[in-house]
Amino acid sequence: MMDNKKINTGILSGINNMLIKSVIIIDPFEEREYTSDILIENGIIRAVGTDLKIGSSVDFERFPECSRIKFADNLMLFDASGYHASPGFFDMHVHLREPGDEDEEDLESGISAALRGGITSVACMPNTDPPLDRDFLIKDIKNRASTLGFNVYPIAAATKGLEGIEMTEMGILRDSGAAAFSDDGKCIQNAKLMYEIMKYSKIFEMPLILHEEDYSFLSSGMVHDGYYSAALGLDGIPSLSEEIIVARDIMLAEKTCAQIHITHISSKRSVELIKKAKEKGINITCDVTPHHLYFDDSSLKDYNTNFKVNPPLRSSKDRQAIIEAVKAGVIDAIASDHAPHLETEKNIPFSEAANGVIGMETLFKAAYTILCKKGNLNSVELIKLLTKSPSKILKISTGKINPDLKADFVILDLERESVIRRQDFFSRSSNSAFTGEKLTGEIVLTVCNGKIGFLNNSVNLEKKLGNFR
Amino acid sequence: MLSVKNIIDIDDLSSEDIKLIMENADSFGEVLERDLKKVPTLRGKTLVNLFFEPSTRTRTSFEIAAKRLSADMINFSASTSSLKKGETIIDTVNTIQSMIADLLIIRHPDSGVLNFISRNINTPIINAGDGKHQHPTQALLDLYTIKKSFKSFKDLNVALVGDIANSRVARSNSRLFKRMGMNVSLVSAPMMLPEDISYFGADIFYCIDDVIKDVDVLYMLRMQFERQQKKYYPSIKEYNRFLSLNTERFGMMKKGSIVMHPGPVNRGIEISEAVMNLETEMPARIKINNQVNNGVAVRMALIYLILMSRQENI
Repeated sequence: MMDNKKINTGILSGINNMLIKSVIIIDPFEEREYTSDILIENGIIRAVGTDLKIGSSVDFERFPECSRIKFADNLMLFDASGYHASPGFFDMHVHLREPGDEDEEDLESGISAALRGGITSVACMPNTDPPLDRDFLIKDIKNRASTLGFNVYPIAAATKGLEGIEMTEMGILRDSGAAAFSDDGKCIQNAKLMYEIMKYSKIFEMPLILHEEDYSFLSSGMVHDGYYSAALGLDGIPSLSEEIIVARDIMLAEKTCAQIHITHISSKRSVELIKKAKEKGINITCDVTPHHLYFDDSSLKDYNTNFKVNPPLRSSKDRQAIIEAVKAGVIDAIASDHAPHLETEKNIPFSEAANGVIGMETLFKAAYTILCKKGNLNSVELIKLLTKSPSKILKISTGKINPDLKADFVILDLERESVIRRQDFFSRSSNSAFTGEKLTGEIVLTVCNGKIGFLNNSVNLEKKLGNFR
Repeated sequence: MLSVKNIIDIDDLSSEDIKLIMENADSFGEVLERDLKKVPTLRGKTLVNLFFEPSTRTRTSFEIAAKRLSADMINFSASTSSLKKGETIIDTVNTIQSMIADLLIIRHPDSGVLNFISRNINTPIINAGDGKHQHPTQALLDLYTIKKSFKSFKDLNVALVGDIANSRVARSNSRLFKRMGMNVSLVSAPMMLPEDISYFGADIFYCIDDVIKDVDVLYMLRMQFERQQKKYYPSIKEYNRFLSLNTERFGMMKKGSIVMHPGPVNRGIEISEAVMNLETEMPARIKINNQVNNGVAVRMALIYLILMSRQENI
């Protein structure tokens, strides 16, 4: 029997010939859904069409009818009728914690968590220890990920040591393979410095990923400044903290023509500012997290630290505004802001707990549940937010389900419901906002760089898999 | 003679003035080749070097020029002066003036101080560098150097490389070179360029590789990494990657093209150690020492022309 844990601890299964039959492909590039077979040989998509067959001598007649997936040597036959397929997801905001905090997560555990979430490409943030502000650190992450057969696009720091004082060697970092620049985790408070960074990033045509908060609003705040912070006796951080920096950076971007991307927006006014900026033709995009789509500050009533995040969960009005913005096309992408933390940092009193939740394994499920199942967003639109759009923003070409490309796709069961359980996470950390939540949409199979990265063991695998030949 | 009393901004000089300066620099250059490198022309005249900012090369260059013309030269530097005791600039200048100086050569760390002084005294002034504003005598000696290396100025491609925003040399040189018909480009980074660069009348590039093959005159500017205790440019390594002259890039330059620098060179920053060491074998290509030599002849010409013009007007 295929051992999922083994497949997912960075050692991708050797199977790279597959025939996926009768799957409904959600194509974000052609913007349509259609039923098709997918034939993969040696990890490359040979054909996408109907009635595809393997031209080989494998006799599948002998295998029991009830099993969807059959294996024979280096070959998988998957009856995917009723399932959907999408290009592998691209999570453009992830904290992999390597180097420095490997007890929270490392590349191996992070990659297996990603694959479980249907994610085949990840852009990771530089607030590691040491931070990714030198070329050899960027190269090291890329090499490590490449050895593990996964696509990691490291984002380099915009300022040295993430201290917000001097800019990094942006040209040299670009040369070493950084995908973008960001001080995420922190925010550059000095407007002049941000201005200089935008001007310099422009000459290299590199995107700037901006985490927006004004520290003068911070003091001891830890939740949204609203009804619940008042009720719970917790210091609040007003949404102005985010909005004034969004406004500042929009003005700077307008002057410099830099490409900026505001990450994890949390408020209604931020949405409005970005919408107006786009109308003016400013080169700006933005993303939201699934937890900001799904929850608001009412979740804080039990002081559950798995709702303690930065930016904080805001009011229901803010959440509604963000959901509407996704439907209206103002939000360009959904990214998890996967932030692993140790039990010692989360399973403690609220005021002491660290900010952040993991999110790669629930990225799709949570977004699908809140936007498509409970909302009325078209699944093609959702898939775009997780694939085509992040690729466009970071100017990186990721998976497409087209012939002659390396196989990079995810098979989804859009009907299946499951309750999220702590013990199921592949991430080294288990600080999830969704624990106990019933979500719709299951990742069945993830294929990355032509190989199987994840296979969901709750999908009819048990039946007589051992019967080869 | 010259159309101006003071030489503060290179744009103050007319085309005739520049022509006159170049011709006289030739004559005085000839004097400097002789065994007896002195002419009695300015005997009895008193020149004052009034340097509020440290300098060895420029100050010495003016001193040698004065002495070759038989003039007397007094050196005054801010650190040893009564300025430390709180004397204002105007009082300092008036004190010197009352010692009957015929010509003041002034360098100051702030832009505009020379304009201020010129409004308050009668003595002619030569600007030896005022803040980030102008360094006209450097521009003239650089022009002279280019004149001696090429048949004509017309359509020569000049690239000024480095910290443009903080450079008085960039300002004087780009204006003068453009006026003489050369094509001026600036190679820099956004952190080292002013917002509006229309004053320079130049194209902008962000990597020296973009100009290296087409340039006739590659003019490297001095780089200073820290201002106000903070680096405004990331690192030497980044500078080397985009803005430095190294052996590889030198090898890509056109036949007959030259390398210039106002000095002193930060070896390993603007120009690599290896390229600097080539100067002795390749004086036709690397003109840094040649610039220094030309500086004396050009300054002799300037001093002579200013004082002669003054005499005529009396």
